[in-house]
Amino acid sequence: MNQQLESDLRAVLRERAGTVPGTAAARVARVDYRPRTRRLRPPVALGATALAAAAAGAVALIVSLGAGTSSAFAGWTPTPTKAPPAQLAAAAAGCAGSPTADAPLKLTDTRGPFTFSIYADSQSSATCIKGPSNTAVHASGSSSPVRVPDDRILLTPAHVGSYQGPAFSLIDGRTGAGVSGVTLILADGTTVQATVDNGWYLAWWPGAEQVTSARLNTSAGVVMQNVSLADVCRSTAQSGSCAAKQGPPGSGTATSVDGGNAVRVPPGSGGSQ
Amino acid sequence: MDKRRADFDRFVADSADTLLRTAYLIVWDLGEAEDLVQETFFDVARRWPRVHRMERPVAYARRILVNRALGGAGRRTQRRRELTASLSLEPVDEANAHGAIDQRDELAAALAELPPRMRTVLVLRYFLDLPEAEVAAAMKCSLGTVKSTASRGLARLEQALRPTHDPRSIPT
Repeated sequence: MNQQLESDLRAVLRERAGTVPGTAAARVARVDYRPRTRRLRPPVALGATALAAAAAGAVALIVSLGAGTSSAFAGWTPTPTKAPPAQLAAAAAGCAGSPTADAPLKLTDTRGPFTFSIYADSQSSATCIKGPSNTAVHASGSSSPVRVPDDRILLTPAHVGSYQGPAFSLIDGRTGAGVSGVTLILADGTTVQATVDNGWYLAWWPGAEQVTSARLNTSAGVVMQNVSLADVCRSTAQSGSCAAKQGPPGSGTATSVDGGNAVRVPPGSGGSQ
Repeated sequence: MDKRRADFDRFVADSADTLLRTAYLIVWDLGEAEDLVQETFFDVARRWPRVHRMERPVAYARRILVNRALGGAGRRTQRRRELTASLSLEPVDEANAHGAIDQRDELAAALAELPPRMRTVLVLRYFLDLPEAEVAAAMKCSLGTVKSTASRGLARLEQALRPTHDPRSIPT
């Protein structure tokens, strides 16, 4: 059968599915479907909302992953997963209308039912988060051009904790041209593999565990980088926000990779974008 | 009991979005799609003690959804025809329309006109990317029926994208 037709058909179906407003599934999910019997207790409230604000780089995040606090991160995986088309379509639909929705899509990270997308142009960037409870989460901020060495990554100082509900941590940023893989090592020894694409990487994990080092796959082999909060404070000149570092979940923290030597350059001077 | 209830809540939260979009593509109407998904979840909730032990509860929910969607297909098709008729106020210049309308719009319009079972096969196959065997399970039909229905559906779509004077017949 005509492959072009099949391809067009997939696109049309995705497009039409993407027109379903994010509120519709949330509305459906909020209904209590359990049969009324004496054995069942009253329904548990769904859609717990978390609000998070991240300091540094004029980054502001509004987070609402919903679905009840105990299962807010159900399905999360330390390595990215392949998202079914429907999930990507839902994410695209949910992200429409985000602060920088007009910026090009740079990267999509999926872990189970969660889809994180980075939209960025030369002036601004946004991270859009789509959780299974169908509540979209948007992050927006300014993004000055940066030059990142080929075998290093720049960690945007934007660890995110929740304001209400369970905490999670998010890191995204630019990669050097030679970096093809990024694995973050957390303080408790667990590892989280980032999605790397288009000169960007992104990883997130439940909780507020700090990053201690990063293992990079580069064109020159595997490179280890230690994490130093002080380094990112220097490289991004965010001393004000870095002063609030290491706060409890929800306060916003800042982290970067030591030795990255990422240098902030003025707009228009040829920084990596 | 608490864990089972939490499992059901999680199942609803995890599957509502995909089921709703799937239902929407099958019935082509958001309001009806929402009703269908809610009816589906009520059915699943009643059988949850058994369903939650299944390897893939979502496949069971999908089967209920498809069954319900196709069960009411006759009423919906009739209603859509009535609506379409009431909205067609002006005669359409076919030649100009073909020049002006994007091919994907035509494809979407052709999809909307497919018989519900045919569209359902295509949605399960090309939107959810289900293997043919799973499509057959969801629709409670044979693998051969899925293959032939998908083939005829694609042929009809292909036909719809050709100029209207094309004399070749449209498979039914």
